[in-house]
Amino acid sequence: MKKVVLLVTLIAFAFTASFATVTAPTVASSNGMVAAVNNYAAEVGAKILEMGGNAVDAAIAVSFALGVVEPYASGLGGEGYAVITMADGSKFAIDFRSAAPMAASYESLSELGLTLSKANYTPKGACVPGVLAGIKEAWLLGATLPLADLIQPAIDLARNGFIVDETFAQTTSDKYELVLENGFDFLNEGFVWEAGSVFTNPQLAETLERIKEEGIDTFYTGSLADEIEEFMIEVGGFMRKSDLEMYGAIVREPLHGTYRGYDLYVPHPPVSGPQFIAVLNTLENYNLPAMSWDDPLAVHIIQQALVLGDVDRRAYISDPEFYDLPYEAFMSKEYAKTRFMAIDLSQAFDPASYYDYQGNAYPFADGSSYEEVLLEALESVAANESGVEESPSTTHFSIVDKDGNAVAWTQTISSFFGTSVYFKGFFFNNEMYNFASSYRDWDIINLTGGMRPRTTICPTIIQKDGKVRWVIGTPGGGRIISTMVQLAVDLIDFNMPVDQAIRTPKFVGYTTYKDLRIEEGYPQTTLDFLEKVLGHQLNVYSYPDLFFGGPNLVSVEENGLMIGAGSIRRGGSASAPEF
Amino acid sequence: MKRLLIVLLIIGVVSVGFAADGTEQGCILEEPVAVTSAGQSPGALQFTIVAKMIKLEYTFEKLLSVETVDISQFKTLVLVVGASGKGLGAANIDIEAEILRVKSLAEAAEESGVKVVICNLEGESRRGPSSDRIVTELAPFADAYFVKADADLDGFFTSFSEEAGVPLATFEKTVDLKDVLAEYFCK
Repeated sequence: MKKVVLLVTLIAFAFTASFATVTAPTVASSNGMVAAVNNYAAEVGAKILEMGGNAVDAAIAVSFALGVVEPYASGLGGEGYAVITMADGSKFAIDFRSAAPMAASYESLSELGLTLSKANYTPKGACVPGVLAGIKEAWLLGATLPLADLIQPAIDLARNGFIVDETFAQTTSDKYELVLENGFDFLNEGFVWEAGSVFTNPQLAETLERIKEEGIDTFYTGSLADEIEEFMIEVGGFMRKSDLEMYGAIVREPLHGTYRGYDLYVPHPPVSGPQFIAVLNTLENYNLPAMSWDDPLAVHIIQQALVLGDVDRRAYISDPEFYDLPYEAFMSKEYAKTRFMAIDLSQAFDPASYYDYQGNAYPFADGSSYEEVLLEALESVAANESGVEESPSTTHFSIVDKDGNAVAWTQTISSFFGTSVYFKGFFFNNEMYNFASSYRDWDIINLTGGMRPRTTICPTIIQKDGKVRWVIGTPGGGRIISTMVQLAVDLIDFNMPVDQAIRTPKFVGYTTYKDLRIEEGYPQTTLDFLEKVLGHQLNVYSYPDLFFGGPNLVSVEENGLMIGAGSIRRGGSASAPEF
Repeated sequence: MKRLLIVLLIIGVVSVGFAADGTEQGCILEEPVAVTSAGQSPGALQFTIVAKMIKLEYTFEKLLSVETVDISQFKTLVLVVGASGKGLGAANIDIEAEILRVKSLAEAAEESGVKVVICNLEGESRRGPSSDRIVTELAPFADAYFVKADADLDGFFTSFSEEAGVPLATFEKTVDLKDVLAEYFCK
């Protein structure tokens, strides 16, 4: 009987949620658009737009909802970054990356016989979560609806449940052993959640209710913070209430770059906005529009530019509050010319020597031209590699409302299930692992209390003549910038619609990978050329593969029509209000 | 009352599975039980959750092998089939080596008079070519099959069971396996 009631409630909720919205893998509308990795979450955003909320309202509701429907990828224990452009011209970049607790250090780990690697799936692997602080800043900056209204859909989803999809089931199955050990309450009476079953999360519903009643501050300075400290002391984590109290999201102007006449608004370090712009700046020197997406030379050029961008990322991107690095020079057009010169059109880099191609962006910080710099022939800086193999977790959503306000929002708990440490219905992130594995004098990502670890996420808004053209972003760990660059090139150089840009097979240029990882779907001639003529070692993945990320995009056409597309690699959806 | 009704319903479903296969039997297996994965999916670990529910005496090792264990100390060997690329990768073993490992175990079990159970706990999702190949390789050693019903929609396990004349017990939900175990182990 209980099950029948649950099913009826579920159907009723699904009906209510979809009453005035349309949701599908690809949707067109002039009323606003939400593209997210999950149909329930996308629909929540569209419903908020339908209620009269703006893109920021919808983004907050989607962020909460994703923490319910994809608890393994993001949520209250996680963090992220958002780029917002408002129709009035104001622009915001909200850094809600997590920060290392003050007690976390290589020494404290060592005293316990631990390393960062060994602590990864333990409470000690968790950094201070930032997602709620980010939501608070977003709400203060641009929301129009009460926060309680934006939390409520997530509470309903957690309480009434939703139907588990293939991604949910597969992800749970993949990490079953870990979750069984640390997050038993998440499981289905100890078993994996199967596709088609109904998942409810009463614990999370209760936590969200408390946030709704007591406000977001309860997580950082109130009773929830007390309980987090109590829990962390009990399970041996580093995090304390004092860490939560000193944490805050940081609001800046987004970084700005251009690509073939388009304006790109991207995140600051420690997120990978500068790397994304730097790679596109390099590619701008090539006539890619004269090629096609499957031209082996285009693949080669893009992949090599990505490798150079990644080598440089490791030298120039870290927490700007802790390191003064020339990331603006790294993303300058002049510096890009030197990277353009480094690519051999007839031969791939030797993967064993990737770090020989480390560039020196410092001389470009004063605006020098590449001719001046190269003539002076300055010495290069040392390379560094954290060697972190990142999982395809994380989640990204894109939103544009009918007035032209836009939000690109990426949130994560790092690996799928984060530390796998489960508390009050959510998982704590394992971002600590994104610091260098051990202390190195020359490194820029050494574990330091209060510091935010580096990451590859890159939510981006692309404008043309001051108007939003595309909102893009993707999960995918070390593949994120590769997928982002290919999306930008596919949209701008190859004039693809958003759904086609998502579908097009992807490849990776990343220093950790010594082979060229590429999705099935390229002509055999292209693959042969890359391997036999250009010297790439190919590693062909089946198509589609979540390894290459799960972008969810929105485009705004010249006539104002918005097209949303969800990721085919992770069951994403677009949803629009019907009004 | 409501609980009793649910239990009766579950038993009914399981019993229908037996009756349909014409292999209704009781107490054909004995403890202690050795449990291992055949393909490194999470199914074997889930088997242990069910085993705990009915207090089955078991030893579980994901990579149990004839080199590390004397199989004759057990009365039953349960091979939980499910090929997982990620699981195999995490265990640093390829599919060929995995098949060799579980076949050697099954051979040793047969030689020692230890009963061999082939189990599919994850249903249709573990019916890919690699999982099917593992089942095919192990079939000559099977004394019983415990299979989630949706893994046998095409009669794949039924045909092995009928050909060899060994029982096949199907169950609808993972947790229902406990009724099958209770029946076969007289718990």
